[in-house]
Formats: sequence, structure tokens, C-alpha cells
Amino acid sequence: MSLSRAWTLREILIVAVLGAVFGVLYLAWVQVWLIAQAIFGAVTMDVVMGFWFIVSIIAAAIIRKPGAALLSEFLAALIQVLLGSPAGLMLLVSGLVQGAGAEAVFAATRWRNYRLPVLMAAGVGAAVFSFIYTWIRFDYGALAPGLLVAMFVLRCLSGALLGGLAGHLVTEALYRTGVLSGLGIDTDRRQGRG
Amino acid sequence: MLSSIHPLAKLVACMVWLAASILIFSAPFQFAIIASAVIALVLIERRSPLLVLALMVPFALFGFGFLTTSVLFRQESDFALQMAGETPFGGEAFSAGVVLFLRAVACGLVSAVFALTTDAGQFIKALMVNWRLSPRIGYALFSAMQFVPDLAAEAQQIRLARAMRKGRPPRRIPGPLETASLIVPLLAYAIRRANRAAIAMEARGLDAGISRTVLGAPLMRRRDIAFLGIALVLLPVLWWISRLAP
Amino acid sequence: MRYPYADAPAVGPASLTVGRGERVLLVGASGSGKSTLLATLTGLIPHTIPAEVTGRVELRGEDVTTRTPAQWSASVGQMFQNPEQTLCGMTVGDEVAFALENQALPVDKIEARVGAALAQVGLPADWRGRRTMQLSGGEKQLVALAALIASQAPLLVVDEPTAHLAPAAATHLRRLLLDRPGDASVLIVDHRVDDLAGLVDRVVLIDADGSAVDGGSPRAFFRARHERLAALGIAIPPPAALDAALRAEGVVLAEAPLTMGEAVAGLEALPDGEQAAAREIASAFAAAHQAGQSAQASKEVVAALEGASCAPLFGPTVLRDVSLTVRRGETIAIVGRNGAGKSTLAASLAGLLRLKAGRRTGPMGAISFQNPENQFLAGSVREEVRDAWLAAGADAASAGAQAEDTLAQWRLSELAAAHPFELSQGQKRRLSLAIITAGGRWPLLVLDEPTAGLDGAGRAALETEIRSLAGAGHAVALVTHDLDFALSSCARAVVVDGGGIAADGPSGTILRDTALLERSGLAAPALLPLLHFLEAGPC
Repeated sequence: MSLSRAWTLREILIVAVLGAVFGVLYLAWVQVWLIAQAIFGAVTMDVVMGFWFIVSIIAAAIIRKPGAALLSEFLAALIQVLLGSPAGLMLLVSGLVQGAGAEAVFAATRWRNYRLPVLMAAGVGAAVFSFIYTWIRFDYGALAPGLLVAMFVLRCLSGALLGGLAGHLVTEALYRTGVLSGLGIDTDRRQGRG
Repeated sequence: MLSSIHPLAKLVACMVWLAASILIFSAPFQFAIIASAVIALVLIERRSPLLVLALMVPFALFGFGFLTTSVLFRQESDFALQMAGETPFGGEAFSAGVVLFLRAVACGLVSAVFALTTDAGQFIKALMVNWRLSPRIGYALFSAMQFVPDLAAEAQQIRLARAMRKGRPPRRIPGPLETASLIVPLLAYAIRRANRAAIAMEARGLDAGISRTVLGAPLMRRRDIAFLGIALVLLPVLWWISRLAP
Repeated sequence: MRYPYADAPAVGPASLTVGRGERVLLVGASGSGKSTLLATLTGLIPHTIPAEVTGRVELRGEDVTTRTPAQWSASVGQMFQNPEQTLCGMTVGDEVAFALENQALPVDKIEARVGAALAQVGLPADWRGRRTMQLSGGEKQLVALAALIASQAPLLVVDEPTAHLAPAAATHLRRLLLDRPGDASVLIVDHRVDDLAGLVDRVVLIDADGSAVDGGSPRAFFRARHERLAALGIAIPPPAALDAALRAEGVVLAEAPLTMGEAVAGLEALPDGEQAAAREIASAFAAAHQAGQSAQASKEVVAALEGASCAPLFGPTVLRDVSLTVRRGETIAIVGRNGAGKSTLAASLAGLLRLKAGRRTGPMGAISFQNPENQFLAGSVREEVRDAWLAAGADAASAGAQAEDTLAQWRLSELAAAHPFELSQGQKRRLSLAIITAGGRWPLLVLDEPTAGLDGAGRAALETEIRSLAGAGHAVALVTHDLDFALSSCARAVVVDGGGIAADGPSGTILRDTALLERSGLAAPALLPLLHFLEAGPC
């Protein structure tokens, strides 16, 4: 955890630009996904879903303060709204839900552990919350249990890999560029806390 | 005309409509929502019908996936019924799928109504003034938006630099692998910009917990409250009408 | 002050005072710690940027650390190199009002100050609703300046505000910043001291050991400190350099000149006996500042465009029917106003942009980008240079040794282990140039605005490097705003204007054609009055 719980302006801006970069990337990713979804059905959503969680993992791993995961998903969604994406408002809700899922896992570890297993667990956490939300939105209760289990497992896997693992790799690469000096991740590493 | 309504009134109205769409499982109702959104865009906002149609496409694609899933993977009982000889198109699975399809389109269009009629700057200012959004977050959003077009330019420069090392001019549109390899350099660029912008904004006095004036924020007027009222009342009316439908 | 985990102080011990209404210019070699010193002024260091500060910093008599940097904003206004950094991305009106909003001033007062500031800076009032994203770089800096003026802060701290601007916009901005009535103090940091020398009251030098040396008034400063400045590698304005050259031979002008016009007037005022000697010295000086034909102007073509139409990567065609041939050993300056298409031409020449029409012959060239950061792909400076040598065909063993040589040549040895993004602007530029010149892999080298952010030593090194590259058989094309640099380093000049090439010929001829320069929106090189004086002959 960082020295103080208060957020600096720099940290807020970093979360905002993370949201901007991924907001743009998500817009592109959506096009790919929608076409696949029309062909393969709702299961595609679960396979690609993990990428939607990646911004919360990266933000939390970099800043290491409570609320980073939640705020980053919310700002990413908000920026998509501001950029005029028609799906914007729905993304606000789904963003909050996904962010809450990841945040819950970090809260469980008291925001102290950001190693790979925790990051992957955060991806799974986001997947679980998101699954519950889409259950309500798209009436999963009426679907065959076999399919439901498959969707759930796929989504959790996707969250762990595309969200947690990929997020970890990106964070490591970013750390090596030196732009993260002075942030939570930097102070933790220099003090040997990983 | 919708563009001049206070952004927060629109936001509340749209969110309530979205919630209604999610909670109410009825094809005619979803259809009524779609119709209202289309009327709002085409007749009130005078947008081209083609634009509205184009907007519906991604949501339709999204919804179609649910339609097919619903038809194919509905609970065993229905599936068995279908296998037993009933055509799939009359079955419960299909009509449930249709509702989901319409719901996807309805949610999408309501969302689109908000996106197309709201100015980003006014929205952020309204959030700061009326809903006490922290100005640090508000201006961070402005800053992040400013920087999106620069992202594209930066991506091009990076691609050119790599092309130079490789000895080949770059393709017009980057492939998936190239895009993935651009993520980290773009994020590094973004964070460096964020670092510098934070210093500049602080130098201009942006601090936590200060009270500040906001120039040009939208004011909540009677017509905005009226709009919200109409939108909220319209929902149960539409629902009642939809129940009359066959 | 000292950054954490660093071995030595970044700057200091330094003592500096700025009085009310004073205009002070801070000079120093790139990487000498000028920006660091500025950052301590409002307490950014140590509040926001972690670093250790020993000693005392006071603003208006109060210790800086008593308030946060944001709380000092009413007393200190800041402007940075890059307008994208200073501005927040809103409408012009909102930008100018931002600092005032943060001070919670009432709306009518804000409106009044915004209107006044826009008028002072020369921006039309109806631009208030315009988004800053749509403005050009020069216009954005003007908006940043208006924001600064509107805040009515008694101290303005400005860090290289004209680094990325074209000469015309730069002059305009400098004058607005420094030529204003009122008792605001201004502390400005810049490399390009030519035009500033006449506008400031005092010059302060940051020496190699980090201490601040007060130089007094600009005229006295350049005369007295000439050797020290040269030793530190700081850019010396041509008039002062001419003055020093004259004094070295015993010819002393009546008054230390700040512009070339003053220098010429001083020369004309010399008694006849001294005039002849002075003319000789001035001739030698002028010759040294102009590139001659390079010795090996061979016939072999390195790159050629025929009837080409050039467009940037996702943009419309900006140049049509361009024909340009580049031969081995040539040095070409590509000049033109902002937006004329110089960078597009350069990238097309190097073969990095596909042509919309016409042909390009020749192997690919290399570009050193305007923003050097785009070039860096490795994790450390040493690695970047080593990769460049490896790509050039050196084997693993010799690549390391060659890399060390290159680092020493470009004065980057102490930074070998640092990450490229951590370097200062000038250092990044040197690294970028080191990379593309290492190994001589590319026959054509294109440099896009290479002098931005470079100090005097950097420019001199660049000039020498360009000459030696041309001598070794490379062709070098240079895109630049700086016509003096173009004149002194390139034998040939190409003017881009009106959607095509307006002129192509020896740089000495083209850059003296004042009519052509004016048509193409260019400012004449500073050396021009001297050249006219010499051509006019003894009277």
C-alpha cells in the first residue's frame, strides 16, 4: 500500500488516461467481438470478456490504493460515453459492476498483494460479478444449465487470462520503461515488497 | 431540441428507461422503447433515419447472438418439445430470444439518444456543479479526452519508427499483432503525458477540496424538470399500451 | 537538490534572487538542471516530485514549503515548452479562465479578465468557444500565455516556451511575454538566446558544477563570459560570437551588439584603419557559418522522387508533382512555413510513406523524428546504441565497443544505463541521432527539426556530424525552421510552398533571396545583414 490513502492529482490523471487508452481500444475490440458474437452466439462474449477487465487490473497494480480498480473501470466507461460511443450508458453500469468485482478481490487481500495470482483472482472476481449482472440482463435463468456452466467457466478463465495475466504482463513492461517512478508500484518494489 | 436539455436530467431519464428495459420482459414493451428512441432521434432531433439504422446494427448483431443462443440452448424441456415436431419459430424459446434481441436494440438506442444529444464538456461541468464530482476528476477527464487524437498520431509515429528499423514502409491499417505490440508504448506515452499534465494543472491551482467557480455550467431550468417528468410518466404509459398488444 | 536514488545533486548549490519587475534569463547547457531549479520555485519539488532539497527557497518572503504548489498558483504563473502540457483540453475561454476558477473568483471578474487577456494576446474574442484541440501549436501557446496573463500573477516562470514554434510565432510570443507594461517579474529559461537578449534585464548562468552565476545585463554577459559559455557548450548568439571573434584579433566594437544589425552598425562606425582588418575577420566569420559545396559531390543517386504526390499516413495529398534527386555526399535543407508539408516530403523521400502518385527510386532512408521518443525501442541508452550497431551488421563482439565509442562521441556516456525516456529533451535528440548514424547503415538520413531543444554544443556537434556524414558518402536531408542552421550546415536548400517545391538550389543563393523567403513565409537568417554588409564592399 502507498504511504497515504489520499489520491494525488497525478494518480487521478493516470487512471483517467488509462481509461482513455483502453476506452479507445475497447471500441475497436467491440467491432471484432460483435461480428463473432453474431456468428457464434452469446458464448463469444464470455471468451473475450476478460479484456474488458484489464484496465482495472493494471490500474490497481500500478497505483495500489483502494478504489483504483473501481475508478478505472468507471472512468474508462465514462470516457467512452464522452467520446460519443452509442453504447456508453450501458457501459457505465457494466463498468461499475466489473470494477466492483475486481475491487472486491483486492479488498479481500487488504490492497496489499499485487502478485500474479491475486491479479488473476481479481480477473475472476470481475468475471463473477459480470456474470451475475448479465444473468439478470439477459435472462440466463432460462438457459440450459450445461451451457450456463460452460459460459461461466469460460468467462472466469477469460478474466484470469485476458484480464489478470495480460494485465500483469502489461504492468511489468510499463514498469521497465520507468514512467511509473514514484507511484505505488515503484515504492513497493524499491522497498522490496514486490 | 434534446441537446439543450440539462445533461443530468437526460442521464437520469435514460438510466430509468434502461432499467425498465432490463427488468421488464415483454417484446411489445421493448418495441415501444425502440419506437420512442427512434422518434426522438428522427423527428425531434432531426437526425437522418439512415444514421439511426446504422446505429442499430451493432446492437442488432449483439442481440442476434442472444436470439440464436436462446433458440439453441433453452432449457431441455423446451428443446425437447421442439425436437418433438413443433417448429422452432413458434416456440417459447424463439419468442424469448426475440425479447432479448429487442432488449439489446432498445438499450442500445436509449444509450445512443444520450450520446448523440449531449456535449461532453457540458456534461462534465454539470457533474461538477450539480452532483459534486471532484474537480480533479472532472478536469482529468477533459485532459484525457484532449489526448485521444494525439494517441492516434503517436501510434503512427511509432509505426513509422519501427518500419524504419525493419526497412519496410508500414501498412495502412495495423494488423492485430501490431496493434497488440503498440499497447505498451502508447500507455507509456499516455502516462508520461499524465505526469506532466498533473504538474501543470497543479501549477494553475487545481487542488483537492477547494471550492471553485465553474464558468458556463448548464443550469437546471423548469423545462429540464418537465422533460424528466414526461420521460418518467411515459414509461408506465408505454407499458400499459404494450400490454394491450397481442 | 537531489533526486532519490541518485548519487549526486541534480543542481546546486545555487543562489538566485529575482526582484520585482525584473526579467531574468536563465541559461545553461542541456541537462544542467535548469528545469529542476524551476521546479523548486513553487515547491513542486519536494511536494509533488520526490527529491531532497537542502537550503531555502522563498517566494515573496515566505518559505515555499508553507503552502502546496497549487496554493502558490495565485503568486506564480507557469508556462511550459509544450502547450499540450499547460492546457487542459477545453475551449479557449475555459482555458484562460481555469486558474481564475480555481481561485474561486466571482464570474463577472473572471469574464472581465479573460476578455482583457485575450485582447492583449491578440486572439479574437469569438475564439472563446473554439476548442483548443483545433488550434495550431503557435496558437495554443498564445492561449497558454493568455491564461498566464489573466492570472495576474506577480511572478511568471517560463520554461522554453518557443522550443516547438516557428520563428514568426516565436518572436511574437517572446515580445508579448517580455515587452509588457506592469511590474510582473519574469524568469525565463531558454536555449535560443538571440532574440531574448534584447528583452531581458539580467542573465544568470547555471554552471557545470550546478551553481548559479549571475552575469549581469545581457550585453556585459556575453562579452565577459564568452569563453565560459563556449566551454559549457551553451549557444552564443551570432552577434556576440562575431563580437568575440573581433575582440580576439584586437578589434573592439563600441558597444557589445545584441543583434546583427547593431553589429553591422558597429562595424561601419569603426575608423578606416580598423575597418579593413575587421572586414577580413567578419568575412572569415561569415564563411565559417556557411556550408560550402561538399568535396565529394558524386553523381550517384541515393534517392529520387519523380512526379510524386505525397500525403501523410492518413491524410489528404499535400504535395503534388514533386521531383527531387538526392545524391551521395549532398546536404539538403528542407524549409518552408508551418504546414507546408516539409515533414511529409521528408518521410516520402526516405521511403517511409507510400506515394499517392509518381515514383521513388533508391533504398530506404532513416528518419530522426521530431519527437525523438518515438524512436526508442530498448530499455537503456546503451542497449539502443548497441541494437543500432547490431542492426547495421556489426557482430556481437564489436557492437559493444562501437556502441561505447558512439556514446562518447555524442556525450552520452554517463547516461548509458538510463532508460531513454528519462533523458532531457536535448539528450534524447542526441541519442536519436546517435542511433541513426551508428554503423552507417542508411545511405540517406533525414533529420526532422533536429535542433529543437539542443544547446550550443549540441548544435555544433550536429553540424560537424552532418559534415562528416556527407564526407563519408551519406546524403543528409534536414527539415528545419532554423535558417541559420540550414545555411551553416547544408550546401543545398529546397523551399516547400504552395503544395509543391517552390525553389531548389544552393543554400547560399536561396536563403539570401529575401523576396522568395517572404513569399514562402520564412524569416531571413540572422547572418543576412552581415552578408549584405560584406558584399557592399568598403565605401
